[in-house]
Amino acid sequence: MIKNYRASAGIMLAPAVTLIGVFILLPMLLTIWLSFQDWSTQTPFSNASFIGFDNFREVFGPTSVGRHFKRALLNTAIYTALSVMLILPLSVAFGLMVYQRDVAGGTALRAVLFSTYMVPMIAVTLVWSKLYSPSEGPLNQMLGLAGIGPQPWLSSPRSALISIVVLNVWQQIGYFTVLAVAGLTQIPGSLYEAATLDGANRREQFRFITLPLLRRTLLFSAVIAIINAVQVFEPVALITQGGPVGSTNVLTYHIRRVGIERAQGGLGSAMAVMLMLALIVVVCALFAFANRKDDE
Amino acid sequence: MSAPGRSASSQLARKRLAGRRALLATLMLLVAVASAFPLLWMVLSSLKTPAETMQVPPVWIPRTPSLEAYEKVSGVINVGRSMWNSLVIATITTAGILVTSMMAGYAFAKHHFPGRSLLFSVLIATMFLPPIVTLIPLYRLVGSIGLNASLAGIIVPNLANAFGIFLMRQFIAGVPDDLIDAARMDGASELLILFKIVAPSVAPAIAALALFAFVYHWNSYLWPLTVLQGNAEHYPLVISLSRLLSYNRGALNTGLVMAGATLAVLPPLVLFVLLQRFFVDSIVGSAVKG
Repeated sequence: MIKNYRASAGIMLAPAVTLIGVFILLPMLLTIWLSFQDWSTQTPFSNASFIGFDNFREVFGPTSVGRHFKRALLNTAIYTALSVMLILPLSVAFGLMVYQRDVAGGTALRAVLFSTYMVPMIAVTLVWSKLYSPSEGPLNQMLGLAGIGPQPWLSSPRSALISIVVLNVWQQIGYFTVLAVAGLTQIPGSLYEAATLDGANRREQFRFITLPLLRRTLLFSAVIAIINAVQVFEPVALITQGGPVGSTNVLTYHIRRVGIERAQGGLGSAMAVMLMLALIVVVCALFAFANRKDDE
Repeated sequence: MSAPGRSASSQLARKRLAGRRALLATLMLLVAVASAFPLLWMVLSSLKTPAETMQVPPVWIPRTPSLEAYEKVSGVINVGRSMWNSLVIATITTAGILVTSMMAGYAFAKHHFPGRSLLFSVLIATMFLPPIVTLIPLYRLVGSIGLNASLAGIIVPNLANAFGIFLMRQFIAGVPDDLIDAARMDGASELLILFKIVAPSVAPAIAALALFAFVYHWNSYLWPLTVLQGNAEHYPLVISLSRLLSYNRGALNTGLVMAGATLAVLPPLVLFVLLQRFFVDSIVGSAVKG
C-alpha cells in the first residue's frame, strides 16, 4: 500500500516538478554559469567560453558598461525603497479605513482600490503617460486650478523615476491593502477593550497594539513589494526608454537590453546574478531586522 | 433623568464622534476618487472626439460620445486577432496551472515521501525569483527546443508555478484524511480521488487560482515580448496596444490610446467585478495561512 502511494506521489509531482525544473531552476543555474562565460545570446550554450570573473569586473568597472549598470542598480534601489516607503504606510492607512466600522463603505472602498490591481500594466502605462502629459494632461490642469505651475513629471531626470513609482503604487496598493486588512482581522478585539479600560487613547492603541501586531503582515508586504518593484518594465520600455539621461534605467529593462537586444548573454547574466544576490541580502536583512524586534 | 452637566459632556462626546466620522468619510471618499479617477478618465477620454481631448481647459465629460477612437484602434492594430491570441494564451496556461498545481498540491498535502519539505521549499523559493533573473537563458532554451516566435513558446514555460502549488497545498491540507482514506479503501486511484473527491471540496480555491492565473497571463508582457521576437501575428493584446503610443506621437493620439487601454482593461476587470470575493479570499488565505 505505502509503496503504491509513493509511486503515485511521484506521478502527482512529475508535471509540476519537471516544468519548474526545466523552465525556472535550470535557467537560474544557467544564469549563474553564464555569468562566468563569454557568450552571445544568439549562439548555442556550447559556444560559451569560461572567462572567470571578467563579466563582474566589467559590470562594476569604469567603462560605459559599468557606468550604466551601476546607475541601473542605484535607480532600482531608489525605486524599490520609494515603493516600499509609500506602500507600507498607505496600505495600513487604507486597511484601517476598510476595516473600521464607524463609517459604512469599507468594503466598497476595498473593491475600488483592488480593481486597479487587475488592470494590465500596459494599460496603466498608456493611461498615466497621458495623465502626466505636460500641457493638456489632467494632472497639470488640476495643479493649475490649485495655482501650482506645471510639473515636468516623466520628462525631467529629477522627477521621472518617482513619477513611475507613483503609477506603480497606484496600481498595486489595493493588493497590499487587502493584506493589511487580513492582518488587522488577526488582532484580537479583547486587546483594544483592555486598552480602553486602561485609558489608552486611539493613538496609543495604534502605536502599542496595532503596529506591533501587524509586524508579520508588514514584513510579508515588504518582501512582496520589493520583489514587485524590481520587476518594473512596461512604463520604462514604453515611455522613457530608461531616460531622461538614464534616470529611469532600471535593472529589468537594462538586463533585457544588454542580454537580449544586444545579445551580450554573459554580461547580462552577470548583472542578473548581482540582482539575485542583492535581493537575497536585502530580504535576509529584513528578516533579521524583524526578528531582532521580536526579541525586544 | 440625568444631571445637566453629564448630558452636556455626552453631547460634546457625540459631537466629537460625529466630527471624526465626517472626517473619516471624507478621507475615504478622497481615496476612492483618487483610485478610480485614472480609469474613469480613461473611459471618458476614449469616447471623446480628437478635438475634445486637446481642449484646454479640459473637457471632462464628452459632449457627444463617439466610438470613433475605437474604430481607429482597429485600423492600427488587429484587435480581433490580438484578443484571440490573448485568450488562447491565458486559457491554456490557466488550465495547465490548475492541473499541475492540484496534482502537486495534493502530493504535498496528503502524501508522505522522503525529502518532501526540502522539495517544497525549493519550489516555493522560485516564487520569489523575479523573471528577469532567468530571462536570458530561458529565451535561448525555448529557442533551442524550437518554440520561439510561437504561442507555444509563451505558454509552455508557464504551465506550472509555485504560487499555484502553494495555494492548493494550503487548501487541500484542510480536507479531512478520513474522506481520502475511505476512497482509498474502496480502491479508487489517486488521480480519481484528487479530481472526484478533493477538488470539489476546495472548489473556491480552484476558482481563485483560475482567476489569478487568467488575469496574470492575460496581462503579462515581458515574456511574450521577448519570446515572440517581433512576430506580430502572435502578439497578445497588451503587446499590440503598446504600438498605439508611438502611432501619431503626441497629444493627437490620446483618444486612440485610451480606447486601446479600455479594451485591454475590460476582460480582467469584468472577471474581477463578477468574482471579487474569490480574489480577496484567496489573497487573505495565502497571506494568513502562509
